Amino acid sequence: MAMKIRTIGRHGREGFKNLFRNGWMTFAAISAVAVTLLILGASLVLSVNIQSMSLNIENQLQFNAYVSDRVPNKELPKLAHELRSIHGVRTVTFISKAEGLKRMKQILQSNSDLINGLGNPLPNEFVLQVNNPHQIPQIANEVKHVRGIEKVQYGASVVPKLLSVMTIVRDTAIIFIAGLIVMGMFLISNTVKITIFTRRREIEIMKLVGATDGFIRGPFFVEGTLMGIFGALIPSVLLYEGYRWIRHQVALFPPFSLLPTPYVMDRVVLVLLACGLFIGVWGSLVSMRKFLRV
Amino acid sequence: MIEMQDVWKEYENGVTALSGVSVRIPQGSFVYVVGPSGAGKSTFIKLMYRQERPTKGHIFVGGFNIERLRESQIPIMRRHVGVVFQDYKLLQQLTVAENIAFALEVIEASRRTIQKRVQEVLELVGLEDKRNMLPRELSGGEQQRVAIARALVNKPKVVVADEPTGNLDPDNSWAILKLLERVNDRGTTIVMATHNRELVNACKKRVIAIENGRISRDEERGDYGYED
Ligand SMILES: Nc1ncnc2c1ncn2[C@@H]1O[C@H](COP(=O)(O)OP(=O)(O)OP(=O)(O)O)[C@@H](O)[C@H]1O
Ligand SMILES: [Mg+2]
Repeated sequence: MAMKIRTIGRHGREGFKNLFRNGWMTFAAISAVAVTLLILGASLVLSVNIQSMSLNIENQLQFNAYVSDRVPNKELPKLAHELRSIHGVRTVTFISKAEGLKRMKQILQSNSDLINGLGNPLPNEFVLQVNNPHQIPQIANEVKHVRGIEKVQYGASVVPKLLSVMTIVRDTAIIFIAGLIVMGMFLISNTVKITIFTRRREIEIMKLVGATDGFIRGPFFVEGTLMGIFGALIPSVLLYEGYRWIRHQVALFPPFSLLPTPYVMDRVVLVLLACGLFIGVWGSLVSMRKFLRV
Repeated sequence: MIEMQDVWKEYENGVTALSGVSVRIPQGSFVYVVGPSGAGKSTFIKLMYRQERPTKGHIFVGGFNIERLRESQIPIMRRHVGVVFQDYKLLQQLTVAENIAFALEVIEASRRTIQKRVQEVLELVGLEDKRNMLPRELSGGEQQRVAIARALVNKPKVVVADEPTGNLDPDNSWAILKLLERVNDRGTTIVMATHNRELVNACKKRVIAIENGRISRDEERGDYGYED
């Protein structure tokens, strides 16, 4: 059924007025939604950045395997081939004793004469890159049992640990935010319920003179939806400006940097508005279903 | 035309308000519904505009099969049945004209129709000079005339009134009855539940008496007939 423009205007006006009829309830509901979405938005911003950071770390995921001195040089290509064929290994790079020493001297620079008298104490070495950071411990173990490999060394599996901590944090956040969203819906539906209650005389007369259910519901729907949207706009603005500022501060310490503001925030704001809309629509539907029966 | 066929009404709490009521009210009649308190008069009236649903039986009002009506059809039916109450049910924050216009606004009538119809009914009930007053600035009789104007603004075929003079002094009651008679003269069916003996006896119409949920008497040009 096509709704007249004038009717939409009326619902908008009435719904807007409703917001002020019980101002404190409206304020409480909007604040609750705003706090909820602020937390949701902040977690999103954080997780997007951590994810991109861990992607960077993952890209260089690698560990070292040291070759026993007993393996003759001509056997090395065969060994490299064997390592490459291990499931989950992406690349294998060989670093010879000599090359290793050169790198070591580069790192030690002026102190390099410390090791000058020792000959070359370094073993031949392979650097293995893997596909999945979670598999490092397992692959390393496999590599250790390859004949001719003396020792493996990997970065104490910081990355897998970081990732699993992130998963736990994320799951906790999801549950927490889901709880807050339910609370936001509850507060909005409660506010709409009170408006319905304070306007019950008008509603009664509307029904008696033949207003349709849809028409009677219009303003309450608008009221709930507006609360949801306002509840989303506030944290959107705060987060957008806040992120811009923090990113600016972080950029002063070169190795660190956050993802570009529009790239992150345009999506986050969209998500927040969608959530606010959903909370508002749902909240008003719930109380109308309960309290606007014919 | 209003017709009830063996209508029963039992409320959720188990009270049986009507037990097997059958009645026929032709289009354009004026009917008083009388009877002791708690007899079932209000229930009888509420069934006509689907405020309550019958437990059993059939009800037809102005071409609508009331008990079979789909939810979405109720608003349409209500536009053909005007309702008037003892307590007027006016919106206190709206003026006389706005109260009447409200009934048309909420069914999305055009601005022109609203203006025209509000003017017409204001003339009919004789309140043009008070159109911009608030309900609390009016006497009870005037407020009831506004309520009647609102009930008429949709040009309903049927007007049901539950004790419309219940809160009014004799002069105002008489004015309301005269107004309803004028509405009836234009072909609108009027069903009026009342305890007002003087009106019923002075202005003879069909009288339907309800006692204990049953029609105990149904007379053309009847008397009030109780001593309460
Ligand atoms: N909504 C309701 N729920 C339960 N019982 C009701 C309800 N409305 C009315 N009743 C009962 O139904 C019976 C008839 O009530 P009704 O209001 O029809 O009487 P009435 O004839 O209009 O009385 P009065 O002259 O006092 O207005 C009464 O016993 C009343 O208690
Ligand atoms: Mg009654």
